[in-house]
Amino acid sequence: MSDERRSTSNKADANDEVLQWVTFKLENEVYGINVMQVQEVLRYSEIAPVPGAPLYVLGIINLRGNVVTVIDTRARFGLEPCDVTDNTRVVVIESEKQVIGILVDSVAEVVYLKASEIDDAPNVGNEESAQFIQGVSNREGELLILVDLDQLLSDDEWDELKQF
Amino acid sequence: MSKSLAASKKVMKNYLSELLTEEPIVIEKIVGTTKDVDDKSRVEALLKNVNADLDVAAHEITTHKSLVTPAHFIKEEFALPDTSGQLKSPDKTILTTHKSQGNNPVSSPKSYRQGDFQALFFNVAGLTLAVPLIELGGIHNVDKITSLMGKPNWFKGVMLHRAEKINVVDTALWVMPEKYDETLKNSLNYQYIIMLNNSRWGLMAENLVDTVVLKQEEVKWIDSPSKRPWLAGLVKEKMCALLDIEALIALLSEGSGINQFD
Repeated sequence: MSDERRSTSNKADANDEVLQWVTFKLENEVYGINVMQVQEVLRYSEIAPVPGAPLYVLGIINLRGNVVTVIDTRARFGLEPCDVTDNTRVVVIESEKQVIGILVDSVAEVVYLKASEIDDAPNVGNEESAQFIQGVSNREGELLILVDLDQLLSDDEWDELKQF
Repeated sequence: MSKSLAASKKVMKNYLSELLTEEPIVIEKIVGTTKDVDDKSRVEALLKNVNADLDVAAHEITTHKSLVTPAHFIKEEFALPDTSGQLKSPDKTILTTHKSQGNNPVSSPKSYRQGDFQALFFNVAGLTLAVPLIELGGIHNVDKITSLMGKPNWFKGVMLHRAEKINVVDTALWVMPEKYDETLKNSLNYQYIIMLNNSRWGLMAENLVDTVVLKQEEVKWIDSPSKRPWLAGLVKEKMCALLDIEALIALLSEGSGINQFD
């Protein structure tokens, strides 16, 4: 390979950034969130409901003395509610400078994806939840839906969460 | 066949008749020629190949980009008329421009609008639809479909086929949303994905019926598809819709349902 071609190849590799994604399941679909936004994953513990909270808020948990608001991810994604199981987890994330928890059916693994392995989601649909999808990727024959956590709530909703 | 399914099919047939009949249609019997028979067997063999390669999942496949530039990508050069004389006297001429009122997909002349052409017929909820074979991108068996939140309800989800991500359309829901109830939904037994040309879009089908060579006069062509751009014409003998694939792809890509132009 000539120097020029090797240089071009190296540049292409450099642009093909590898990102890590924490994968979780909801209704048998696999979703991924950027590992840099994940602080920790907790087993399900009792979530205390908050009177007058918006519908997308399940309640609050006490995380080592800090109050963390837990979002009803299923409701947010337009899915039917389901019972809590042994696999249910609360993923504590940081987004929009706030720490919140998202309730998921289970957490699977951390995967590495090159930027080139991520495709845009089909650009149809105007519903609010359509904007949650950052992209999709074919991971060993299974479609991984990558979630943009910053879009999970609107600006007003993020502001509202600060009140908790 | 259950009573409800039979009733559903009857409803669909009536619905199709209402949808398709704009003026009395002369039903003519399709007469097959020797050439037709040859073409038909060739197409059937091709379709068998399409289905056959679904079984070959584990083999590595190498693809090569075509070195031939498609004709429609070749820019044509035109000699512009000399308008310099006209441009020198624009005084007092007010030009008014209007934005296009419609967002109908622009349709280009179809290759199947000349001579005989082949069409694939398939069934959805008792309704028969036809696709010009030249615009058929492939046929796949239905596999796991991953639904995506926030998409139109007719968007069934994404199905992986090798490295390809197929946008799967619930055809019954797209074609007849007003007839789509829980009973119809439960009666559907989708088995195939009919790929639309070279796009990522695929229509779900319950059964593949046949491939037929059609003559131009065997189709009632709809040349001003302002209301139903997805409808290329009506196949007179089978009384079914012949889909305009390019227009359909455009509609699906912009997230439009069938009633977009009503």
